Amino acid sequence: MKNNNEVLLEVNNLKVEFGGKKNKFVAVKGVSFNVYKGETFGLVGESGSGKTTIGRAIMRINEAAEGEIKFKGKKINGKISKELDREVTEKIQMIFQDPMASLNERAKVDYIVSEGIYNLKKFKDEADRKAKVEKALTDVGLLPEFASRFPHEFSGGQRQRIGIARVLIMEPELVVADEPISALDVSIRAQVLNILSHLQKERGLTYIFVAHDLSVVRFITDRIAVIHKGKIVELAESEKLFENPLHPYTRALISAVPQPDPIAERNKVIEIYDPSCHNYDVDKPEWVKIEEDHYILANKEEIIKYKEILESKV
Amino acid sequence: MTSDVKTEKIDKSLFEFAEYDSKNAELIGYSNYSYWRSTLQVFLKNKIAVILLFVVVLLLLFTVVQPYLPNQHSPIKINVDADGLQLRNLPPSSEYWFGTNSIGQDIWSRIWSGTRTSLFIGLTVGIIELIVGIFVGSIWGYVRKLDPIITEIYNVITNIPTTIILILIAYILEPGILTIIIAMSVTRWTSMARFVRNLVIIIRDREYNLASRCLGTPLHRIASKNLLPYLVSVIMLRLALAIPLAIGSEVFLTYIGIGLPVDIPSLGNLINEGRMFIMTPSLRYQLLFPTAVLSIITISFYVMGNAFGDASDPKNHI
Amino acid sequence: MASLYLQKKGGKMSKYVIKRFFRSIFTLIAVITVVFLLMRMMPEEGYFGETGTDKLDESQKEAILTNLGLRDPMHIQLLHFYSDLAKGDLGDSLIYRPNVSITKIIKQKAPYSIAIGLSSLGFALILGLSMGVVMAKEKNKLADKMGTFYVVIIRAVPPIVYYLFIQLYLTQIFKLPLLFDIDEPSSWILPTFAMALGNIAGYAMWMRRYMVDELNKDYLRLARAKGLSERKIMVSHVARNALVPMVQYLPASILFTIGGSIYIESLFSIPGMGGLLVDAIQLQDNNLVQALVLMFSVVGILGLFLGDVLMAMLDPRIKLHSSGGGR
Repeated sequence: MKNNNEVLLEVNNLKVEFGGKKNKFVAVKGVSFNVYKGETFGLVGESGSGKTTIGRAIMRINEAAEGEIKFKGKKINGKISKELDREVTEKIQMIFQDPMASLNERAKVDYIVSEGIYNLKKFKDEADRKAKVEKALTDVGLLPEFASRFPHEFSGGQRQRIGIARVLIMEPELVVADEPISALDVSIRAQVLNILSHLQKERGLTYIFVAHDLSVVRFITDRIAVIHKGKIVELAESEKLFENPLHPYTRALISAVPQPDPIAERNKVIEIYDPSCHNYDVDKPEWVKIEEDHYILANKEEIIKYKEILESKV
Repeated sequence: MTSDVKTEKIDKSLFEFAEYDSKNAELIGYSNYSYWRSTLQVFLKNKIAVILLFVVVLLLLFTVVQPYLPNQHSPIKINVDADGLQLRNLPPSSEYWFGTNSIGQDIWSRIWSGTRTSLFIGLTVGIIELIVGIFVGSIWGYVRKLDPIITEIYNVITNIPTTIILILIAYILEPGILTIIIAMSVTRWTSMARFVRNLVIIIRDREYNLASRCLGTPLHRIASKNLLPYLVSVIMLRLALAIPLAIGSEVFLTYIGIGLPVDIPSLGNLINEGRMFIMTPSLRYQLLFPTAVLSIITISFYVMGNAFGDASDPKNHI
Repeated sequence: MASLYLQKKGGKMSKYVIKRFFRSIFTLIAVITVVFLLMRMMPEEGYFGETGTDKLDESQKEAILTNLGLRDPMHIQLLHFYSDLAKGDLGDSLIYRPNVSITKIIKQKAPYSIAIGLSSLGFALILGLSMGVVMAKEKNKLADKMGTFYVVIIRAVPPIVYYLFIQLYLTQIFKLPLLFDIDEPSSWILPTFAMALGNIAGYAMWMRRYMVDELNKDYLRLARAKGLSERKIMVSHVARNALVPMVQYLPASILFTIGGSIYIESLFSIPGMGGLLVDAIQLQDNNLVQALVLMFSVVGILGLFLGDVLMAMLDPRIKLHSSGGGR
C-alpha cells in the first residue's frame, strides 16, 4: 500500500464554481494534489468545504472552471476524445454517500449492477454478463440470487454493497468514495470498510476517500488532505498528520474526534478554529513543505512557528 | 420439586450456541416489498374502486361487442314502419330497448355508439396529453437554458380560462371529432408538462442519476430506465381522468352548439336531443337513459383513476 | 398575519405583485392578439348581418368587408382593434342586434351575470367552507363519507347533467319558476344554487384537506396538551387559517363560475353574458363572440391575478417567483 511514486491522478489548481454571473459561488478555490497508484487518499473537511465537489469534478459531474485534472498523465477535464471518455468512464468510478438515494428504485439489482458494462459492452454474451453480475455480488458478500430483486428490499448496508458491486464490475483503477459510510448504521460501517480495504489489497485499487469523520479516515487512508472553505490547508501522511497536526483547523478537527478513553476524553481540550487567527493581510500564505510528506498552507511567520513545534516534539 | 419439573420441560436446544450464518444474515436483511404488489394491494382494499373497475372493464368490452350482438339497430338509421312512416318517439320495447328518438333512431344503439365516440375522444386526448406533456416536460426540466422561456409560455397559457380556449378553438374550426380533440389538447398538456418538469428536476440531481452518468449511461437509457418508470402511475391516472373530462367537454361544446354535428351520435348530442323533452314527462326517458349511462361512465373512471392514483403513491403503502 | 408579513417583506412582496401584474398584462395582450388573428380566419359569411349571404352579390360583399376594415393589412387591423379597445369600443354586433354597439349590449347584460355570479360565489363560500369543517371534524364518519360522495359526483359528472336535473325536478318539488324572470325574486334561487354546486364541492374539498393537515400538526397537539378546549383550538388556531384554502380555491372558483354561467344562463334564460355567448355562437355573430371571449378572458385573468396576490400575502411559504400550477 505504501506509495510507489507512480502518479495515477494529478489535480492542478482546480477551481469549481456554481451559479451564474450574479450569484457566483466558488466551491473549490485552486486545489492541487497528486494521488499515487495503490494508495488511499483522504479528503477531509466539514460540510460545505468543497470536498465532495472535488470528487465530483474528478468524476466530471461538476465542471472545472479552471485548472486541470490528469489521469495517467492525460487531461480528462473539459472536452476530451471519445476513446479517452470511454477509458475514463471505465477506469474511474464512484461510490455514493447515500445508498438510499443512489440506487434506481424501479430497476432490478441485475440491471443496476450491469448498467456500466451495458454501456461499455464489456461482456461477450448474456451468460457472461450474468456470471459477471454474480461474481460482483459475491465479491461484496451478497448472494447471487439477489440479482432478481429490487433495491427497496434491502437494508442500507446491503444497498451500499450493491453500489460497490456496480463499481467493481467495471474493473476500475481509481474509485472515488464519497463518504461511503456516513449514511450507514454504525453497526455495519466496519463491514463496508472491510470490504473496501479487502478489495484494495486484492485488486490494487486506488481510493480517494471523502469524509468528514477523521476517526474513520485515520484507519483507512495513507495520506490525508484537510480542506477548509475550498482550499487544502494541510496535507500529510495519515500518521504524521495525527501526530503533528500543525494547522489550527486540522488541530480543531482532530480535537473533536471522540476518544474511547473516559479519562482522556474528560481532560481533552477541544480547540475551536477561528480563521481570524491568521494574519494574512500583508504576509500571504503559501503552500510549503514543512517536513517529509507533510505540506501546509502558511505564511512566513507561521512557518517559523510550526517548525518550532515540530522540533520541540522530536 | 416443581422447579425440577419445570427445568425438565425446557427445551435444551434453546441453550445451544447460535452459529453465525452469513448467508442467513443476508437473507433477513431485506424485506419482501414490491412496489406494484403493494399498489395492487392498496387498490384492492378500496372495494368501491374494485367494483367500478369491473364496471369499466365490462363497459369497455360492451361498447366494442355491442354492434355485433344480435338484434342491434344501426345508430344512424331512421327506422320506418311498413307504411314508410318514421317510428317517432316509440317507448322502450323488446324491439327498441330504449325506444326511438324524434326521428325514429334507436336510442339504445345510439347510446353505445355515443359512448364509443366519447371514449375514443377521451383516449386520444389522454394520449396526446401524455406525449406532448412528457416531451415538453422533459425538455423543460432537463435543458436549463429553455426553462425561463417555457415557464413564461406555461404561465401565459394557464392564465387563460380553459373553457374560453375550448370555445374559441371549437368555434373557429369546422365542427367534428378532430376539432374537439384539438381544442381539448391545446390546454390539457400543460399540467402534465409541469408535473414531468418538477419530477425531472427532482430526479435529475438525485444520486442514482449521477451514478448512471458516472457509469456512462446514454441519455436515452437514463430517460427510459431512470425516469419513465416513475411516471407510469401518473400516466395511468391522467389517462383515466382524461375520459370523464373529454366526455364533459364534448357535452358542453355540443350544448352551446359548436360540438359534434348531429349526424355523429355522441353523448352530448343525445343529451341535447333529450333536453327537448324536458317539458314532456312521458318522454323524459330519452334524457334519463343517456345521462344515466354517461354518469356511470364518468363516475367509474373518475373514482377508479383516483383510487389508482392513491394506491400508486408509496406513502400509502404501509 | 398577512399585514405583518407585508410589513416585513414589503419590498419583495410589492416586487412580486408588480411582476405578476405585468405577466397578466402580457397574457392579456397575447390573448387579444391571438383571439383577433384567429377570428380573422373565420369564414366571411359572419360579417354580412341579417340580410344574409345569398342576397348580396360579390361587389356588395366586398364593399361591406372594406367598410369594416377587413381588407386592410393585418397589422393595421390589429392596431385599429387595439386603439378601439383602448377607447372601450368593442365594435358592433353583426347579427344578434345588427349595428348595435357591443359595449352597449354588454352593459345591459353584465349586471345580471355579475349579480348571479357573485351571489353564487358567496353562497358557495359559506356552505362549502362549513361543509369542509364538518367533514374534517367528522373524518371517516358518515358526514364525511356523504360529503366525499357529493364531491365525487360533482367532480365526475358533467355539470349539464345535474343542472338539467335541478331544472327538471327541483322546480317541481319546490314549486319554483322554471325560467328566469326579473320581477320574480324566487326565480333567482335555483340558478344561483345550481351555479354554486361545483364551487361548494371545491371549497369543501380544499377546506377538509387543509383542516385535516392542520389538525395533525404539532402546534395543535401542543395546544391540546396545554389543555385548550377543542372549541378554542378551532376558533383561535384553525379557523383563522381557513383563509388559506379559501384563497387557494378562489381563482378556480371564478373560472368555474364563468363556465357555469354559460350553461345556466342559457338553461334558465337569464339575460346575462353567458347566455349571450351561446346565442352569439349559434348565430355566428363573429364580432360578438370575439368581444365576449375577450371579456371572459379578462375576468379569468383578473381572477387568477387576485388569487395569486392574495395567496402570496397570506402564505409566506409559497415561492414568490413561481405561479401556482395545476389548473
